[in-house]
Amino acid sequence: MSKYIILLPIVFPILMGALLPLFRFRSRKARNIYVELVTALTSILAVWMIFHRPSEDFIVLNLAGELAVMLHIDGLGMVFGALISVLWPFAALYAFEYMEREEKDNAFFSFYTMTFGVTLGIAYAGNLMTMYMFYELLTLVTLPLVMHGMGKTAVAAGKKYMTYSIGGAAFAFIGFIFVYRLGDTMNFTFGGVFGSAAVAGKENLLRAVYVLAVLGFGVKAAIFPFHAWLPSAAVAPTPVTALLHAVAVVKSGAFAIIRITYYSYGTGLLEGSFAQKIVLGLAAVTILYGSVRAVREPHLKRRLAYSTISNLSYIVFGAALMTPAGMRGGMLHLAAHAFVKIVLFYCAGAILHRSGLEYVRDMDGLGKKMPFVTACFFAAGLGLIGLPPMSGFISKWNIGTAGIAQGSGPAVFGVIAVLISALLTAVYIFGFLIRACFPAADGKLPDASGRTAPSDPSWRMKLPMAVLTAMVLLIGFFAEPISEFLTRVANGQI
Amino acid sequence: MAENLWLTLLLVLPFAGALILCGFCGQGRGRAMYLTADLLAAAEFALALFFAVPVLCGGGYTCRIKELCGFGLSFELDGFRAVWLIILSFMWLTAVVFSKEYMEHHRHVLRYYCFTFLTLGATAGVFLSADLLTTFLFFELMSFTSYVWVAQEETKGALRAAETYLAVAVLGGLVMLMGLFLLYHLTGTLALDGLREACAAVQERGMLLAAGILMLFGFGAKAGMFPLHIWLPKAHPVAPAPASALLSGVLTKAGIFGVILLSGNIMHQEKEFGWLVLFLGAATMLHGAVLGVFSVDLKRTLACSSVSQIGFILVGLGMVNLTGGNALAVNGAFLHAVNHSLIKLVLFLLAGVVYCRLHSLDLTQICGFGRKKPFFLAVFLCGAFAVAGMPLFSGYISKTLLHEAIVEGGELFAGSAGVLLSVTEWVFLVSGGLTAAYMLKLFTVLFLDEPSERVKKCTRNYLSMPVRLLLAVPAGFLLLAGLLPDRILLPAAEQASAFFGAAGAVHGAGAPHWFSMENLSGAGISIGIGIFVYFTVVRQWLRKRDGQETVYVNRLPAWYDLEESVYRPLFLRLLPFLLAGACRLAESVVEKTAWFLSGPLLAAVCRLADKLVAGIVWLISGTMLSEKKPREHLHGAGRIAYCAGRVMDDLVLLLNRTVRRKRPIQKSFVHIFAVGGRRTRRTAGLVARSVSYGLMLAGIGLVITMLYLLLG
Repeated sequence: MSKYIILLPIVFPILMGALLPLFRFRSRKARNIYVELVTALTSILAVWMIFHRPSEDFIVLNLAGELAVMLHIDGLGMVFGALISVLWPFAALYAFEYMEREEKDNAFFSFYTMTFGVTLGIAYAGNLMTMYMFYELLTLVTLPLVMHGMGKTAVAAGKKYMTYSIGGAAFAFIGFIFVYRLGDTMNFTFGGVFGSAAVAGKENLLRAVYVLAVLGFGVKAAIFPFHAWLPSAAVAPTPVTALLHAVAVVKSGAFAIIRITYYSYGTGLLEGSFAQKIVLGLAAVTILYGSVRAVREPHLKRRLAYSTISNLSYIVFGAALMTPAGMRGGMLHLAAHAFVKIVLFYCAGAILHRSGLEYVRDMDGLGKKMPFVTACFFAAGLGLIGLPPMSGFISKWNIGTAGIAQGSGPAVFGVIAVLISALLTAVYIFGFLIRACFPAADGKLPDASGRTAPSDPSWRMKLPMAVLTAMVLLIGFFAEPISEFLTRVANGQI
Repeated sequence: MAENLWLTLLLVLPFAGALILCGFCGQGRGRAMYLTADLLAAAEFALALFFAVPVLCGGGYTCRIKELCGFGLSFELDGFRAVWLIILSFMWLTAVVFSKEYMEHHRHVLRYYCFTFLTLGATAGVFLSADLLTTFLFFELMSFTSYVWVAQEETKGALRAAETYLAVAVLGGLVMLMGLFLLYHLTGTLALDGLREACAAVQERGMLLAAGILMLFGFGAKAGMFPLHIWLPKAHPVAPAPASALLSGVLTKAGIFGVILLSGNIMHQEKEFGWLVLFLGAATMLHGAVLGVFSVDLKRTLACSSVSQIGFILVGLGMVNLTGGNALAVNGAFLHAVNHSLIKLVLFLLAGVVYCRLHSLDLTQICGFGRKKPFFLAVFLCGAFAVAGMPLFSGYISKTLLHEAIVEGGELFAGSAGVLLSVTEWVFLVSGGLTAAYMLKLFTVLFLDEPSERVKKCTRNYLSMPVRLLLAVPAGFLLLAGLLPDRILLPAAEQASAFFGAAGAVHGAGAPHWFSMENLSGAGISIGIGIFVYFTVVRQWLRKRDGQETVYVNRLPAWYDLEESVYRPLFLRLLPFLLAGACRLAESVVEKTAWFLSGPLLAAVCRLADKLVAGIVWLISGTMLSEKKPREHLHGAGRIAYCAGRVMDDLVLLLNRTVRRKRPIQKSFVHIFAVGGRRTRRTAGLVARSVSYGLMLAGIGLVITMLYLLLG
């Protein structure tokens, strides 16, 4: 079999997405079938690659010296690749119904499909150069999606997103340069690349650069001072906020942080240093900050966006613990939060789509009108709070025990932050659920101020929600195999 | 211990039952639903007996499912758990059968039944769990499913109470989780059978104590321990009566289950922990009893009584820890927990009967309901005498054991510790007295006072046959157990003692002379205090005659409510205010720092560059692309532009008057400058907001890097 096949899951969706506007589809239905086929095929390819991953690196092209575009699938890449491959076809299915009433949906689906390829590129990147390239591409390819509405707020949000991302990438680039100059290799190597004598005496400099790089990638992972673009971006259509701003884009940021921590800079260099303390502290602050803002946010989608900010930092916190247990916890949360948050956003989107309601205070008694959506929200919400045995609990348990075991001051502070944040999560999730399920006796039912009287959406929205909700539950109940696999990844065995 | 996977059937049955009810008994099929529910509860009871009876005759079962939930679930059935399994499944059976009558005219009955069975499964899971993670899992599940009970009526009061309940449960759960993190870090295991030894070997005693206190917070919150008891007096009056019986009878005991683990096993070497439990227990005991005396609502009185009785159990558990597993304390705490469950089952169901007929629980409204109802009287008396610790009833046995434990513990400690214990003894006796007082108050209300208008109107038959039967069983047990303590209660307690510590840790004689003068005098003092309080406080101060009617007044000051005057302001006003303030502060700090970091120089350079670009743009548009612009009328110009314009205008005026008299200049420079300035600003703003600005910042970052690389 040709080694070029690893390119396929990356190039195929980008190409087909770019070609989409050229096909003159006679109806939306034909276009939808085309998009669904492309994403499904890509998913199959991506998952197939995971099971038949090539053992040697595949260099696509060599730019100069060590600057090569190189693909290689390792354990971490498998986790991220599998995660998005599972989610994307469902997300596309959901988007079909949601986008029916929007304009320019051809352009939307074109970029939506291309983003899939780019994200897979990040997952399967074999060296820092390739990851950085796809990382920058991701910003460009998702920008039209954020600005899709082209209203004043949408354009402003798009500009904000752009400015933040490019500024962050500049920081990340500093980290990139140092690995290039001082590291043994650009390729991702478990345990780090700073083995040679060239590093001696420059450890503290490298640690400082690591902090800069984390902050740079942290812009997409919405670490505290650089989070502001995410709630603004909630203005984008829900399929975008759900898939990109809860999974693909933001998780790319968290993924990149795990990459440079464990595979480029290496825990040996960072463990116990000031760099680790700074990153842990920032993550802990973000965890608290996101939850507090979510509690005070009346707009449902923005509330979920703040919740995402908080939860992304769980991952960063787990990764920054620099122990195998911490990395496992971070990766578990990466997976668990993806499923949970995508369902929650789908529910918010379905509510917005079917009833036009955006603010939690208007949603009294919605549970009676939209029982299916509320049930999904309920299950995923419990997962987000971390009620055992939901998936959120398993990851929280792993992160918490890892944090206590690590034992430094910022780590313990972070664990406390995680627990306080879980409490606040309960407040903002139940704030909606109780309103929806137990309306106060004098409360009014939601009126039909929206475009239609509120009711459950059709099967195209329901199916992704049902399947993904089931996944939320299943991941929690049968976490053992996943946890075992991640343990092996975190120990560098895969 | 035999491995027995079928044990999980005890959990699967209720969870599946809830699904069956949900799936097959939709709206409008009431009878089928009631029948299914009854059958399911009966099946669970039969199953419980099937598993528990062999265990009580010796032996035990364990069960471990490694694959589930990431860390595996493990269960165990030993003597202690077997006793509780029987009690809880019996209580559920009674409650479910009674629910049929109680819920007849209520809405959302199906939801109520579903969550009743879900809670049954979760509670059984807590009592069967053999490692703390499994306990925690089912404990949390139980908290969330029982929320629906409290919110069932969907009135404002119910929703508010449910909110409190959920808040306490979630907070307790998370604090407990922190304790679990610490404990797991210290011992490396959470399996109950190895935990005692593992904890004994821990070096960092301070950390262990912290873990224990955090977990006590979690379990205590569910048990109703002071100062976390606030949900109890609010939740019980609004929940349906059968649910109240279960909440108070079983769910609080799930919290006690955890406290037993803590004080008997995990923290058995930490005497500080014992004192903590003892004092919190004493506070709970007294506080609950005082609230009970003042209460003017039937179910609220019973709820306060529950708080108080939980305090008695906690005092016993404190003594278990302090005496290192004295048999008196062990048996007393266990038996009081068992008694309290059955007592509250009886009393809450009676309260449910009252509510069914009168639709009120206000003591003034229900005066005289029990008149000419001999069965009602008999059952009520069994419950009341038992809870007040009257000799010949089971409550007397457990209270005597607890009392003896305190007295015997006092002999172990000298000095101030001994004094503290004798103070505890008096608090114990006074609380017992107050218990007698509020039960006497209820007795007078139900059976002696003149019937109220409401009661006179109600003439229907008040109890159906099955309910009579189900009430008679626990009531009879309370009497029988009190008469034959050595036959019934002590063997059960012996079964349980292993759970309070490793075999051999429980020591001392467990059976005092029940009816010796010494023990009778303890009960006598209590009941004496009770009668005294009743006639001085309740009769004189809390009860008024209003013509024909007797009126009970609430004399409790409004501020004497921990929830309303401390917790709610703290958690809903102060903390959000502080947290949000902190967030806002952090945001502004970040903004300011970003500004400072970019530095006045950098900012100036950037601004200059902006102005340069904007200037060029303006220049081009002003020269090459110039169009005749219509005069713009300005409302305001920048200060500098205005000044410069004025200066220019004055110059022009001067010129016009001197040099250019013949061809005066007509332009107004104020206006020209203002237009120009505004245009520059607008363009600069556009540039600053645009992508190029971000790119420029990125470029500056790159330049700095390049500089470093060149120099380094």
